[in-house]
Amino acid sequence: MSKQINFTIDGRSVECQSGESILDVARREGFYIPTMCYLAKATPNASCRMCVVEVEGVDGLVLSCNTPAIEGASITTESDILYKERQNIMKLYNVNHPLQCGVCDKSGECDLQNKTTEFDLAEQTFATQEQKRKKKKWGVLSYDPYLCIMCEKCTSVCNEVVGSEALYIKPGGYKSVIDNHFGDCIQCGECISVCPVGAMASSDFKYNSNAWELQKVPSACAHCSSACNLEYEVKHSGIDSSGSSEIYRVTNEDDFDSLCGAGRFGYDYENRVAIKDEKAFNSAVEAFKNADTIKFNSMITNEEALILQRLKDKNGYRLVNEEARNYQNFMNSYSSVSGTSLYSGDLQAIKDSDYVITLGSSVSRDNPMIRFALATAVNINRANVAYLHPIEDYKLENLVTQFIRYEVGSEEGVMAMLLEAFASDEAKEEQKAFFSELDMGYISGESNVNEDEIKNLKSKMLRKKSPVIVIGADVMAHPSSSNIAKMVALLEKSSEFKVVIIPTNTNTLGVSMICDLDSEEGSSVVGYNVHAATTLCALGDGDLDMPALNQQEGTFTSIDKRVVPLNAALPHAGYELNDIAIALGVESEETINYTSELPTSKGFKSVEFDSLENYYTNGGEAIRGYLLDNKKIKTKKADEAISNITELEDYNGSVIYSVDHISQFNTFTNKTHQIIDKANLIGSEQFAMAAKIKGGQKVKFMFNGKEITRVFNLDSHLKGTVARHSTFDLHDSTSSGKYRYTKVQIQEEGN
Amino acid sequence: MAKVYFSTWRGESINNIDKASDQWEESAYKLPETYNAQSDSKAFIGWDGVALFDADVDVIRLASEYAAQYQIYSEACGRCAPGRWGGRILYDMLDKIARGEGAMSDLDHIKEIAKSMSLTSKCEIGKTVPTPIIDLIEHFEADFLECINKQQQSKHYTSEDTTYTAKITAPCTDACPAHVDIPAYIEGVRDLKLDESLAATRQTMPLAHVCGRVCPHPCEDECRRTNLDSPISIMELKRVGADYETDHGLGFFHPHKQKKPTGKKVAIIGGGPAGLTTAYYLALDGIECDVYEELPVLGGEVAVGVPEYRMPIDKYNQDIESVRDLGVNFIMNTKVSADMMRQFETDYDATMIASGTRLSKKVRCANERPEIEGYWGAIEMLDQVNLFDKYGIGESVDLTGKTIVCVGGGFTSMDVVRCSIRANAKKVIMIYRRDEKTIIRNTTYEEYHEAVEEGVEFIFHSAVNEMKDEKDVLKSLIIDKFELVPDPDGGRAQLVKIEGASFEIDVDFLIPAVSQSAELSHLPEEWELDMTSWGTIKTDGKHYVTSRDGIFASGDCEYGPMTIVNAVGQAKRGASVISRYVQDGKLSLTDDEIMEDHLRKMRVYDKKETVTGWMKGVERQKSEVLGVEERKTNNKEVNFGFTQEQAIAESERCMRCYYIAMVAH
Repeated sequence: MSKQINFTIDGRSVECQSGESILDVARREGFYIPTMCYLAKATPNASCRMCVVEVEGVDGLVLSCNTPAIEGASITTESDILYKERQNIMKLYNVNHPLQCGVCDKSGECDLQNKTTEFDLAEQTFATQEQKRKKKKWGVLSYDPYLCIMCEKCTSVCNEVVGSEALYIKPGGYKSVIDNHFGDCIQCGECISVCPVGAMASSDFKYNSNAWELQKVPSACAHCSSACNLEYEVKHSGIDSSGSSEIYRVTNEDDFDSLCGAGRFGYDYENRVAIKDEKAFNSAVEAFKNADTIKFNSMITNEEALILQRLKDKNGYRLVNEEARNYQNFMNSYSSVSGTSLYSGDLQAIKDSDYVITLGSSVSRDNPMIRFALATAVNINRANVAYLHPIEDYKLENLVTQFIRYEVGSEEGVMAMLLEAFASDEAKEEQKAFFSELDMGYISGESNVNEDEIKNLKSKMLRKKSPVIVIGADVMAHPSSSNIAKMVALLEKSSEFKVVIIPTNTNTLGVSMICDLDSEEGSSVVGYNVHAATTLCALGDGDLDMPALNQQEGTFTSIDKRVVPLNAALPHAGYELNDIAIALGVESEETINYTSELPTSKGFKSVEFDSLENYYTNGGEAIRGYLLDNKKIKTKKADEAISNITELEDYNGSVIYSVDHISQFNTFTNKTHQIIDKANLIGSEQFAMAAKIKGGQKVKFMFNGKEITRVFNLDSHLKGTVARHSTFDLHDSTSSGKYRYTKVQIQEEGN
Repeated sequence: MAKVYFSTWRGESINNIDKASDQWEESAYKLPETYNAQSDSKAFIGWDGVALFDADVDVIRLASEYAAQYQIYSEACGRCAPGRWGGRILYDMLDKIARGEGAMSDLDHIKEIAKSMSLTSKCEIGKTVPTPIIDLIEHFEADFLECINKQQQSKHYTSEDTTYTAKITAPCTDACPAHVDIPAYIEGVRDLKLDESLAATRQTMPLAHVCGRVCPHPCEDECRRTNLDSPISIMELKRVGADYETDHGLGFFHPHKQKKPTGKKVAIIGGGPAGLTTAYYLALDGIECDVYEELPVLGGEVAVGVPEYRMPIDKYNQDIESVRDLGVNFIMNTKVSADMMRQFETDYDATMIASGTRLSKKVRCANERPEIEGYWGAIEMLDQVNLFDKYGIGESVDLTGKTIVCVGGGFTSMDVVRCSIRANAKKVIMIYRRDEKTIIRNTTYEEYHEAVEEGVEFIFHSAVNEMKDEKDVLKSLIIDKFELVPDPDGGRAQLVKIEGASFEIDVDFLIPAVSQSAELSHLPEEWELDMTSWGTIKTDGKHYVTSRDGIFASGDCEYGPMTIVNAVGQAKRGASVISRYVQDGKLSLTDDEIMEDHLRKMRVYDKKETVTGWMKGVERQKSEVLGVEERKTNNKEVNFGFTQEQAIAESERCMRCYYIAMVAH
């Protein structure tokens, strides 16, 4: 496929790889070709026909979006005839298009409006009879078919990029409309973001503000480790600075990148405080002075993590964050075999892959961008996707090609089966002690994974070129996580597999690289976003209010091993962690002064915050912050040895799995007004029968030492005896670092 | 040759207006003068012009009805701005003129929108709908002006005595014996809606895996892209949707929901492509089907004839399972007898004979006696190979140390020689009467070259003269050589034996694979079914009914040994006829089928047409195949199929040459 092609656009010679479309090359090279339906991140719809160009020696007009460049071709992007035809297309788009721009949300950023002006359409010469259509509301999205120009961008993203296949075209010529298999819709809002007109609108944002009144604040999403690029759109109300600012919506570079529902709709979690509460601040400082432990979670910036580390360096605090410590330990064990500080893959590697295995993650909920990447892999590379997990995820049905169910707790054995199947003979020789002791019959029996399933999985590897394995949060807190990490590293070293180890929380990777974490709490604990004797909190219910992540400047370290900047969308009138640090003698004027001091020994770069870039090129490349250096780690023979598989703990009876709803990630998303999922327990018929409960019933059980009451919902798609338990509303769940499966005794409430 | 009053079809310009009808100049094309036995055609209007058979045609109404079809049928399209709005505007304006409310400016707008549509529409349907409309406006301007100036209705605006029957077609669809909606399944690949792609295929072709792999793809010979550079790789794109279904294990994508049981029952003799196809479409229509199969396995020649390396059985089984999924009964290991056939007439509402051609024909050489050891019919040989390789039935074929000579030149003979290589034969020779070019034309380029790579020796312009045996054991063959001698009178060149060039070769096996004939001992003699001169069952070629009421025939037992897709096409049509026959006892065709036959007669593809609006020289994708060393000793599938990247690129070469054809009758 990749051969160098030379051709000319408007007389200038350009180069590209064979297979690249004329339009893509033109855009990258800075030539303007108008389009209405083209979406760089999806394959061309070829519906608008605006991108026609002239080619020397070819009769008629050629579509540039889906025509590959040919050696020696001579392309003309502008001419009278092209202008005339593009103008006619705009006339057609305007036939019967409602003249309601005054109250349309899209006004001011509408492609139809813009191109109507661009093509100088002062009058309409075409007319036709309007057809009756129905407006629709599908949760967060509202569809107005009268405004719809049938560019098909929304159905493209839904199918190709998100992989839901919810939106579809209901054909009927002039009467064609978009419809929704609503049961498959994950409410991510990708369709809204790509709609060039006001047809696919946010139900919440509708009639709320003019686009041009909103100020865009580029930042990074704070809800998971993908840390996607986004722009908070903010409006100030009131006539002076005493008025308040509000985030009206979140947008992104939708032509190239995506957001999930949490990123797009879960933005209003800011912690509003009126003034600096000096009294609370002083007692917090006092508490720090008396404390020996700081407990925190990974919903913080790299800079805050560094402040905490500096406080430890200076005052000897124990830094406790079990979740990040598990990840850190996992990565250390991984590095002891791989010899590298970081895993080899990233989201792009998954998108480019033709063979993906996921182990120990509910990917569509833990990290939606992995799900999106899988959709690309399946659609564009026809990837084989094996989903290894105790619970089948029917929301991934059309992406997953093989579901392998294993028993809760058997992740180590399952990883060993994968390693046995895929590791090279040299690797097996190197770890002879381990492989010779491997009892596949026993593992298969305990994990309930049939050896034929693995054989089948391996057979699909035939003719595949870019395999990736994705390791999820389930294994981080597994009793044998260190051994699993070594196996993962060995697989990576001894096969074609690239590895992605999902950072469990937004900035888990950053925290694990920056902080020297402790396992045991001391006697006096201060909590940061985690409940303790004294709690600093961005949720508004602690002893001292802190800014939320949409009110802070700083950086995250993402799953892509990239340090990305975030900017404050809203002001915070209260104190921040740096004020405490200053009061405790760790002095630096601004939090972002720490950006350039992040540890270079771990791969960070000494770059000033203000020098971090955050934009996209014409060709669609994201220039965001910088990539961490993947450091070489010296390995010791003794550390490298993989231990034999330990006997598995039984998970009989009722088992619940800590996992949240799609879009509902944590205590912060729970505060936002558009994300309305309730915390509950969702299980199968079988689960209900074993636990002797019914759908809709309130039940109680012990979870992490506390009694919890939940509504139990039956889900006919689910099978087996493991129920899904949401924990997003539980304050400390994000830092608990516990294995995600818990044996519980479930009782009806009231008994 | 059709008698026309007026025609602009395919650029001809015939105008018999004001001429006496015996003076009329004839059209050069096989236009549908008569619609069917019940009605004559008044006009034919299509993508490349319009023809009137009658002076009384209301041309304005004809134009607006044609534009209306574009709205009605725009499910096939309506997916681009010029087509979606332009098509509607065309219709609205024409109807406005026809009902007597038109203005002069409407004609200008029609012309302007027509130009934009023809320049920028996504599919040919949008590009070509304006063509005949503009022809009519140009040639019958006076009629249009009269309606506009007098603000009056067109002459038959309200009359109901004319039926306008339209059909969407495409050159490839027309060329395909099963009339698969090829642009639709290619669009499914391009849209990355592989389930929709497969559902489009299964509308007329249940064997998507099979015809995505081993179809000789006559469609590609009539692909319009050939006029520009090279044809779309149509066959391979079919496989993409089929593989998707298998890879994801998502159940079966049927073209529509199965209808409720009708209480009718049909017997089908033979579980090969024709039998399976008949069962599939009858079952979809709610008719109970019993399929009788002589062999212990289903699938007919594709199962026991086509080798595993070309057509993996687990993929074919997927096609077969999609038939079973609709509740079809398969009665295995049952050779139908004449008595059973007689009984079927009472037990079933109709019978479809689809028993194929499973007798190997002789090579016609001296001493050709079946009892000679080493004389082995291709069908028997491939049965043994495939039953063992695919199902573990019987014994494996081991030809270690043996020399094999196969006489043939078609697909079956290719299968024989390549299977012989895989059975470890010492030497494999193909004897063929004609030349390399012809063998490629009769099979495929790939098939021939892969066989050569694997070590098959081809001797062209040759034939077996005599089998030599010792005590009924084959020892050697005398081979004659021929040369092509041009006919001095300019006729077809003749094959003439070269005297003195004959030679003898020692062989262990002679495998005749020249052709097959039908084994029809199950037909009751007293039925006296009409037969063709080459010993197959004769039908009317339209309804696929035999000379006996209620007994139908399709596939090779009807046509003679032909392609899978031909069997599927016949059986699909037969099933459609049967599904009406069992209800009303009549033989009928749908309008769609009538139009299908008219169009095939006319030919949709025009190899002289100049294609515009597409970049020339975008390379046809080629899928990777196993290296010769990796494949010749085993049964691994040779062709990898397209990668997704290749499939998308290839699908984007498709020009979506949908057309609307309409007959006023």
